[in-house]
Amino acid sequence: MSAPFIQFRGITKTFGGVTALDEVSFGIARGECHGLMGENGAGKSTLGNVLAGIHKPDAGELLIDGVPHRFGSPRAALAAGVAMVHQELAFCPDLSIAENLCMGHYPRRWGGLLLDRDAMRRHAGQLLAEIGVVLDVERPMGGLSTAQEQLVQIAAAVGNTPRILVFDEPTSSLSEPEAQALFALIEALKRRGLTMIYVSHRMPELFRLCDQVSVLRDGRYVGSLARERMTPDAVVRMMIGRSLETHAPRHLAAPAGEVVLRVRGLASPGRFQDVSFDVRAGEIVGFAGLVGAGRSEVATAIFGLDSRVTGQVGLDGAPFPLRSIKAAMGVGIGLVPEDRKRQGCVPGMPCRANISLAILGRLRRLGMLNFTRERQLARRYFDRLQVKAASLDAPVNSLSGGNQQKIVLAKWLARGGRLLIVDEPTRGVDVGAKAAIHALLDDLAREGLAILLISSELPEVIALSTRVLVMRQGRIVGELPHADATQDAVLRLMAGVGRAACGIRKKV
Amino acid sequence: MDAAAVPVRSPRRFRFVAAQELGLVLVVILLAAVLSLYGWYDASPGRPNLFLSFDNLIDGIATPMSYYAIMAVGLTLVIITGGIDISVGAIMALAALGGAAALQALPPDAPAMLVLPVAILVPTGIGLLCGLVNGGLIVGLSLHPFIVTLGTMSVFRGLANVLPAEKTLPAAGKHLPAAFTTDFMRLEIMGMQLMPLAIMLICVALGWFYLRLMVAGRETYAVGGNEEAARFSGLGVGAIKLRTYAIAGLAAGVAGMVSLGRFGTASTSTGSGYELTVIAAAVVGGASLQGGRGTAIGALLGTLVIALIENGILILRLAQEYRLVIIGLAIIVAVSLDRLSGCLGRRRSAPLPAAPPPPPVTPGPETRS
Ligand SMILES: Nc1ncnc2c1ncn2[C@@H]1O[C@H](COP(=O)(O)OP(=O)(O)OP(=O)(O)O)[C@@H](O)[C@H]1O
Ligand SMILES: [Mg+2]
Repeated sequence: MSAPFIQFRGITKTFGGVTALDEVSFGIARGECHGLMGENGAGKSTLGNVLAGIHKPDAGELLIDGVPHRFGSPRAALAAGVAMVHQELAFCPDLSIAENLCMGHYPRRWGGLLLDRDAMRRHAGQLLAEIGVVLDVERPMGGLSTAQEQLVQIAAAVGNTPRILVFDEPTSSLSEPEAQALFALIEALKRRGLTMIYVSHRMPELFRLCDQVSVLRDGRYVGSLARERMTPDAVVRMMIGRSLETHAPRHLAAPAGEVVLRVRGLASPGRFQDVSFDVRAGEIVGFAGLVGAGRSEVATAIFGLDSRVTGQVGLDGAPFPLRSIKAAMGVGIGLVPEDRKRQGCVPGMPCRANISLAILGRLRRLGMLNFTRERQLARRYFDRLQVKAASLDAPVNSLSGGNQQKIVLAKWLARGGRLLIVDEPTRGVDVGAKAAIHALLDDLAREGLAILLISSELPEVIALSTRVLVMRQGRIVGELPHADATQDAVLRLMAGVGRAACGIRKKV
Repeated sequence: MDAAAVPVRSPRRFRFVAAQELGLVLVVILLAAVLSLYGWYDASPGRPNLFLSFDNLIDGIATPMSYYAIMAVGLTLVIITGGIDISVGAIMALAALGGAAALQALPPDAPAMLVLPVAILVPTGIGLLCGLVNGGLIVGLSLHPFIVTLGTMSVFRGLANVLPAEKTLPAAGKHLPAAFTTDFMRLEIMGMQLMPLAIMLICVALGWFYLRLMVAGRETYAVGGNEEAARFSGLGVGAIKLRTYAIAGLAAGVAGMVSLGRFGTASTSTGSGYELTVIAAAVVGGASLQGGRGTAIGALLGTLVIALIENGILILRLAQEYRLVIIGLAIIVAVSLDRLSGCLGRRRSAPLPAAPPPPPVTPGPETRS
């Protein structure tokens, strides 16, 4: 075997006291798609960031094509042909898609004085077209969904015509068809000879795309598996040092209880129409649909965050007013939002403060905060969700992506209530913790909580849900009981083909 | 899982000075050391140290800085929520004038029982009201706080100009009751007027208590750290902001009261230009204009740094013309030093992560009791 194209040699990186990477050494061959796996906080993003010039390693060497590199900035890495699609997206929300896409190399006119808007629009359109996405490039970035942002970022990275492309959990907010389109793109890029690093927690896609998978554990390189030897069990063993037993959700066996949430004729102009459904105690109702189908919009509307929504909602038989978070929380509704960075957590505050944010009222004694109980609570959810952080007091933005997600989940689990809406609860969460979160949701359902689950990861919705509701273009287009909810059936409904063929009972 | 069995310690709860404030303490010590040395060297033989004497420390530093520090605590709350209030100087003037107008109606020898409630309630009430106006406009119209308080600064200052019959109160020939001035705010204890200092320290302590121990303080940080996440967590963001601006107004009212009692007069130009010093003090004290960061102790230390520099210009007999230049530069230096030491402090304090939770024995299924 010839010398690897990318060679990491003893790469070490610490943040304060946390060792994110510990003498990581391995090589990646030219033109391969190299998978990178590991638990949350194992150091995958950090390794990608070292390669892409975001972080400087404390020690160690990085060789590309035999040449040592030490990137001081993303710009330097780009110049050497390394681009990265980041896990945590960063954009200027008030600028248009085109402006964001062309950032750093705006096309100019009149000797560089004026922005060439037409050229910018054309260029942005091309970049998007290249990855097969159709979006109005004039729209402001802030109005896009997370998935659309993700696609724009992929377009930006691919548009830099790099030699090396790092994908850090690119599919975490994409739904199945968009993910399929991305895989096709990656395969095309591979044929063009690009070397790619692909970070993900989803094994099927890793096995499909990658020629080689490397595993990190606690910042250390554990080993690599070639294509022939990639099995879920082998990878999990390397990742967490033991096998993972899967178990069927047990709430399915129990009979569903009384109707907890009743939604009738919910509509919000431009977002969704005529949405009616029930969620019973002990049920997990899954919402499937393409990105933009209106699932998250329905969730936020029920939670009181949509000022234009109309319709009737009731909890435990009693109607409650729409358009008020106070009312929704008062009757016992919780929402784990889709966008953890914008809506889910206060990044600069300690983990424990984030966990207690929704129950400050209960921790209040004569206006003062009960710190002892706050710590007990935070400690409990740290253990329960296996959060990996330096301490309870570590600010949330020092945690890895998956661990941030666990903090957001913990905040609402701590509050409890009657109905929990979880929007992408396991986005970016590693396999072990994902199993733990699934088991937790299952347990909560068995205890009589009603759960509304939104997820773009079809296997997750299908495996966990008592019933799957499928949304398309702002309407509920079908309902499948657990037994009938196969990947194929759900996908057909999502895409809008074969509604009759599937024998769907349309909800009244 | 049994929560009670988990040992719970809260080591950071009672740590008085956080890492980010350490840099400020160092700056203060450094300045004080330099000034003490010079004050000792420059004093004529047999005379006390120019800097390190009670006269200078109380009358030259503590009393003048008290108005700033009181307002800086209130403004720090506002800055933590990600807002700003530039009307505090005008509120202070309005409060002091209002207090003077009310007090001059009382006989100069009125009893303290009657005088003090008026002297305290009128200025603080005016301050609170102005703060509520600010907060109400900012929350109700969802306008940017800079714009709103730029407007109200002008309105409040304008009211201070037109409402009183004269430019200075009490009017000629009238006096404020001694029960408020000489016997209260200028009360001498062992030859020192400690009242402004005491009120300042009480305000800082209240601010510390509010931010550090009260739920309301936590909510303040949450709104500033990420307003949308705070809303998604069910916090009443509008009410929290309104409350914060009200407190900032209240603090300005207290400052007006202190100034009125100490000088015995209030004029239409009382407190003009103070807002910039107060903002500078809060920022030097570690409050981040982006929100989410800041402490009451920091506000006090920030004001102290500025007060020491002002005092140092006098002690070192530097040309008064350069006062503004020196203070401006010093603010920038102090803020950079603070950030630097904050970074170093984080790096140093980090290497002792708390013992990680014991590795879970079984990966998936969680058993709940
Ligand atoms: N900016 C930072 N400051 C402090 N600690 C950090 C920072 N970035 C990462 N870390 C720490 O470094 C470790 C590795 O983080 P990293 O983001 O690389 O994990 P990851 O493997 O990408 O995890 P995930 O699957 O959750 O995305 C974590 O323990 C994290 O807390
Ligand atoms: Mg990551």
